[in-house]
Amino acid sequence: MSTFDASTLIYIIQIVIGGLLVGIGVHFVPVGGAPAAMAQATGVGTGTVQLATGSGLTGLISAGLMMSVTDNILLIVLSGAVGAMIMMDVTMIVGNWVYIYGVGVPPVAAKVDYDPITKDPQPPYIGPGTVGHGVPTVSYVSGTIGGLMGGAGGSLIYYALMNINGVSGLSAFFAIGIFVVNAVIASYNIQGTIEGFHDPKFKRIPRAVQACFIATLIIGIFAVLIHGGA
Amino acid sequence: MDMVSMGLLAAMGALATIAGASEDLESDVGSQSNPNSQVQLAAQVGHTHRIYNKAISGEPPSNALYAALAAVTASVLMSDAYGMNAFFSIAVGSLVAAVFNGILSMTSYMGRNTSQARFNQYVYLDVLRSHTTTIMAHAYITAFCVVAISYIMTAPWLPIQHPFPLPVIAFTWGIALGAIGSSTGDVHYGAEREFQQYPFGAGLNAANSGDIVTKGEAGLRSSIDNAWFCAKFGGPVTGLAFGLIVFLDNWRTTIFDPATQGWYAIATGVLIVVLLNVYNRILEVRSKKRYGPYPEYAGDIKA
Repeated sequence: MSTFDASTLIYIIQIVIGGLLVGIGVHFVPVGGAPAAMAQATGVGTGTVQLATGSGLTGLISAGLMMSVTDNILLIVLSGAVGAMIMMDVTMIVGNWVYIYGVGVPPVAAKVDYDPITKDPQPPYIGPGTVGHGVPTVSYVSGTIGGLMGGAGGSLIYYALMNINGVSGLSAFFAIGIFVVNAVIASYNIQGTIEGFHDPKFKRIPRAVQACFIATLIIGIFAVLIHGGA
Repeated sequence: MDMVSMGLLAAMGALATIAGASEDLESDVGSQSNPNSQVQLAAQVGHTHRIYNKAISGEPPSNALYAALAAVTASVLMSDAYGMNAFFSIAVGSLVAAVFNGILSMTSYMGRNTSQARFNQYVYLDVLRSHTTTIMAHAYITAFCVVAISYIMTAPWLPIQHPFPLPVIAFTWGIALGAIGSSTGDVHYGAEREFQQYPFGAGLNAANSGDIVTKGEAGLRSSIDNAWFCAKFGGPVTGLAFGLIVFLDNWRTTIFDPATQGWYAIATGVLIVVLLNVYNRILEVRSKKRYGPYPEYAGDIKA
């Protein structure tokens, strides 16, 4: 049986911070769900949880490799963040290839008249009967930030669990579980589609922070107890 | 960095490219991902069809399942108890994954189409026979490639030495691969192939939802026709996406030893991310310049 000391508390705090990073990061990921797969909405044509989890877990693979050779928390977390950003960025680029060359639509945001970053006008490029398509610059940058936070959050959870039990397979699987719980909670909050940080739905973040905090705290306590006692 | 590591990295990139392409085509033949919403809607708005219909789950969980199944089987066969050679173990593991895929695909097709009987949607046994085997074949290739990548990353006699066990890493790559396939290649199927009767260069107008093409070049269109079309663009670019991710992510830790040059590996990754952001901006500007604003637009904002 494990003892509940100061370091246990630190691990729980790390797991909670990781979970919050994932929950907030998902809000940055531009996903249009099923409509985007028919070039009917701005964002990547898949589900929020799917894309965020795909990128976060790619980051987890990078973080796992880094943690096998170093104990430096910053290196491990950043390695995970960079891995997730690469996955997210390549996916969005290739998604844009398909929108531009395969479907023949330019990337455009529908929730704003002018792109907040480039100041480009958006409405003239929105196809009739659609609410935008593709991944415009503002959504792309937002997605990159989402990848960074998701990858960092997943890696931090993995780091905390690895310090408790030292078994990489078990820690990775628990980290995946905690990651997906937070991604799903955030996905409910944005109801499946969001264009990025310029989307009005982004303002709902405080609710997700509360929900993710409670969920991750409960899971974190159990995860530490289970892993400590294993 | 040594030559063996670089060679293995190249092999991983190539395997990932094949896995990406076959994953996307598997979901196109089966009509699995988001575009399937239109296939399900089609019968309800009066367009009965011969498109396969197997929305088993989102692509990431289903591919994670196949990859993990194949990897678990391969691990058991490779263990000391059985001592099978790695190549054959992965082949047998992938076969198990393909069989699972076939079972799920068939039950899914029959369940969904019988539930739409009130809209005159039939269960076509010839579609079931010809398509299920095609889907299983693609799933086999995908599972084989993903487990082979995972094996290269974990095998004790190879240089990478990733700490995750083979099934966990295969599961993780399976999720990533499904997410990529769902995000990239499927758009080609959903936005272009399903709605080819509408002019090129427009997303699906919400008013046309469910109006998918049901007639083929000769006779009725089947999902194998869809895979033929998507194999020209959607499939290969999905492969390129997964290949790039596996390659770029591992390349940074191959040229820079993570134990001694970890910061360089991270800086290289950040540089790649910055370049991709710049490239996306170039793509956006060029596409808007090439296509111009929509003629139907009647607002005040100038393009």
